[in-house]
Amino acid sequence: MSSKQKAGSLALVVALAALGLSACNPTPKDSAGSGGTGGAAATKPLVIDTVFVLKSADPARNYEPTGNIVARALYDTLVSFKGADLKTPVPSIAQKWEQSADGLSWTFTLDPKAKFSDGSAVTSDDVVFSLNRVERVKGNPSFLADGLTVTAKGPESVEVKTAAYDPALLGKLASPSLGIINSKVAKAAGASDAKNAATADQAEAAFAKASMGSGPYVLDSFGLSTEVDLKVNPNYWGATKPTYQRVVIRNVDAAQQKNNVEKGESALALDLSPDQVASVGSGVVSSGVPSQYTFYLFTNANPAVNKWTANPDFQEAVRRGIDYQGLLELAGKGSRRAAGMVPVQFAGSLPDDKAPTFDAAAAKAALAKSGYDGSPIEISFPSDLTQNGVSFTDMSTRISADLNKIGIKTNLKGAPVATVLELARGGKQQVGVWLWGPDFPDSSNYLAFGPGGIVGGKRVNWKAGSNPALESIMKQAATEKDEAKRAALMEQFQEGLNQGPVMGLIQPAQVFLASKDLKNLTYNLVWTVNVAELG
Amino acid sequence: MQAPATRRESVRRGSGLGGFLGRRAIAGALLVVGITLVAFVLTHVVPGDPAAAALGQRAIEDPATVATFRAKYGLDDPLWKQYFTYLFGLLRGDFGISQQTRRPVLTDLVEYLPPTIELALVAIVISLVVGVALGTVAALKRDRWPDQLIRVVSLTGVSVPTFWLALTASLIFSVKLGWFSSTGQLDPGYPKPPTVTGLLLVDSLLDNDPFTFQMGLHHILLPALVLAAYTVGLITRFTRASVLEVLGNDYIRSAHAKGLPRRTVILRHVLRPAMVPIITVSGLAFGSLLSGTVLVESIFSWPGLGQYAYKSSLALDLPAVMGVSVIVAVIYVVINLVIDVLYGVIDPRIRIS
Repeated sequence: MSSKQKAGSLALVVALAALGLSACNPTPKDSAGSGGTGGAAATKPLVIDTVFVLKSADPARNYEPTGNIVARALYDTLVSFKGADLKTPVPSIAQKWEQSADGLSWTFTLDPKAKFSDGSAVTSDDVVFSLNRVERVKGNPSFLADGLTVTAKGPESVEVKTAAYDPALLGKLASPSLGIINSKVAKAAGASDAKNAATADQAEAAFAKASMGSGPYVLDSFGLSTEVDLKVNPNYWGATKPTYQRVVIRNVDAAQQKNNVEKGESALALDLSPDQVASVGSGVVSSGVPSQYTFYLFTNANPAVNKWTANPDFQEAVRRGIDYQGLLELAGKGSRRAAGMVPVQFAGSLPDDKAPTFDAAAAKAALAKSGYDGSPIEISFPSDLTQNGVSFTDMSTRISADLNKIGIKTNLKGAPVATVLELARGGKQQVGVWLWGPDFPDSSNYLAFGPGGIVGGKRVNWKAGSNPALESIMKQAATEKDEAKRAALMEQFQEGLNQGPVMGLIQPAQVFLASKDLKNLTYNLVWTVNVAELG
Repeated sequence: MQAPATRRESVRRGSGLGGFLGRRAIAGALLVVGITLVAFVLTHVVPGDPAAAALGQRAIEDPATVATFRAKYGLDDPLWKQYFTYLFGLLRGDFGISQQTRRPVLTDLVEYLPPTIELALVAIVISLVVGVALGTVAALKRDRWPDQLIRVVSLTGVSVPTFWLALTASLIFSVKLGWFSSTGQLDPGYPKPPTVTGLLLVDSLLDNDPFTFQMGLHHILLPALVLAAYTVGLITRFTRASVLEVLGNDYIRSAHAKGLPRRTVILRHVLRPAMVPIITVSGLAFGSLLSGTVLVESIFSWPGLGQYAYKSSLALDLPAVMGVSVIVAVIYVVINLVIDVLYGVIDPRIRIS
């Protein structure tokens, strides 16, 4: 055999050996392992698979679902919520709080035990710095701290004043974006809460290298498109210590998430559709609850955009012409008919029996009353968007077919969300099919859909002053201090909404596929899962 | 030996390898500049406002937040100014800031390009080894059952949709058989080796870490095999055609008549001249592997350039889209240059001409 032939043969052997080698499972180092199984929780990381919607490790600039999971684990907030509940704020860094008689001022007393991961105490200065910074860096979540005046009233007391009564304040303060950061460490990294923080703050990159919070975990590594690794905070001050020493949140395509959980590589998958978990292997368990999103449809109220969509009888025809049961079948098990816009998890959600119902005869009658002349109506939707396994293309096609049946000609206009969103926000769509997730955990968020609201007014062209009775209810709901009365007002608001151009469709299902050994799994609308609660 | 006058003429014209490379580098640079202009125009005629795409509904309501965003990314400047600002930045190695990741685009490219290069390299090596071998066998066994079988296999390779193949391969080889991993570059939470080249397999070897290398191989093979399915089929078909053409030459019959061993004839006298078109198609296939891995990267959660480009496009992240366009253009220019040089290495006639 010549030397060249020998070299060729050697190369072949090496290639085959490499293939064979890789086909064997390599032995992981101590620092790695596979997904969470209860008994091995102390050593094996908890592995969560999700499709990353993640832009930043900086809580003041984070406003995405994956970022909320991460920020919730790294940064304690003044107040928080436990499990799935969003109605009763619980103490976190603030052990108690008081509201002034006029409702405009809140005084928070900090828990003296609270300390950051570097062991230093959480002080009122840290709280002031953190909340001011969120507002002043002018990121996506800045609106949460808009109009707040935050003042230290001693090392362990903070006063938060609002320009107007804000029933959602505690809910907003529980948002992971308003996590309290270690101001000394952050300032050293270039953070600023000055008036010019939008340009002066240079700390975003530092947050991706090391966390600066007091949460149950600290950041181990941050990969925007790969995985975020967390390790337990050795100085965690909270009463309940996390079960898992390490947590790995991975960016995994939805098509692979089921496979990974079933073969034990991951403990939890967050992005599956009800159809995907219709049958699952042994050792895993699936569950589905209504997600945070409300899918809705609007007909533009501006006759200049389309005279038919602005016609109340035409709107009624659309409302009664949609087969909502068909939409629920499309969305799968665990989804819910949206009786109004407010999700079922919030106080003020409209009971199921108050939802508008499908009635083809009534729809046709309303259509005839409107005088509709058969002109095609454009239905715009984000064609590249699928949420909780429900494709907007499928949903819009179904709605289009329903409307065709009652005699409305439709023209489906799907486009990428980045393109079609601008048209929607500009109020230029004739009929739009969209979704809405809560900006903060309070039903007052949904007043945006009323006349003059940022959705009702801007997207739908349902101008302020066009429905004084409904707007009066909105004003009362925005300022009512009694929670029960406020919930009743929100129900009234949605009943009024159900007479107008905005129509709630469904709440799709948030499906979890988890290892049977994973305990305490609950769905929270704001941060999806609290990894520190998982056992 | 070249006459002195002719050699001087060659030097004056720059006709040596250095001159050739210089001319190609200048042409390549002009091509890249042209591509930046085309990409810039195309990304700006797409309907949609980057600020509206990047900011939430509440944030878009705040003029200060919108102004901060637009000022940060220079969106208020006239288009021509934006283009020249970009171009001059590019000359300094500044690709701008990504609106999605809020990091320098160059930082993103340095992070996302190596995994794609590594995946494409493994795929092209598999494709060349398997494709050339199958193509040669098919040509040598022309119209007999091995040829027909290989033609069916290669046709299947170029016809099967990548996403279907990826999902099926993942289900069979990862879930059912457990031979390969189907998610990411390494097991969850496993630390990457220190970055030297950015290529994980290479870096793990440089770090003298066989475990990480083995794990990396375990993760890369399935996506690389899926990616290679198309190029194996392509190279097989080109190799078969090219080898058949060479086999028909008189000098092959002469080589056989001289009594040269069959293996020597095939390796030295058939495969070498047959390699020119194979190299051309392999180079282009490598380029398309680098720029066309979106589906495979998505399904196998591979943190590469394809996913970055896809997400950036959806979000109207113009600096990122421009950065990817420039880098892909540079890759194609370099690949074409390498192919041209390889022609000369393989075929002296081309070198002389």
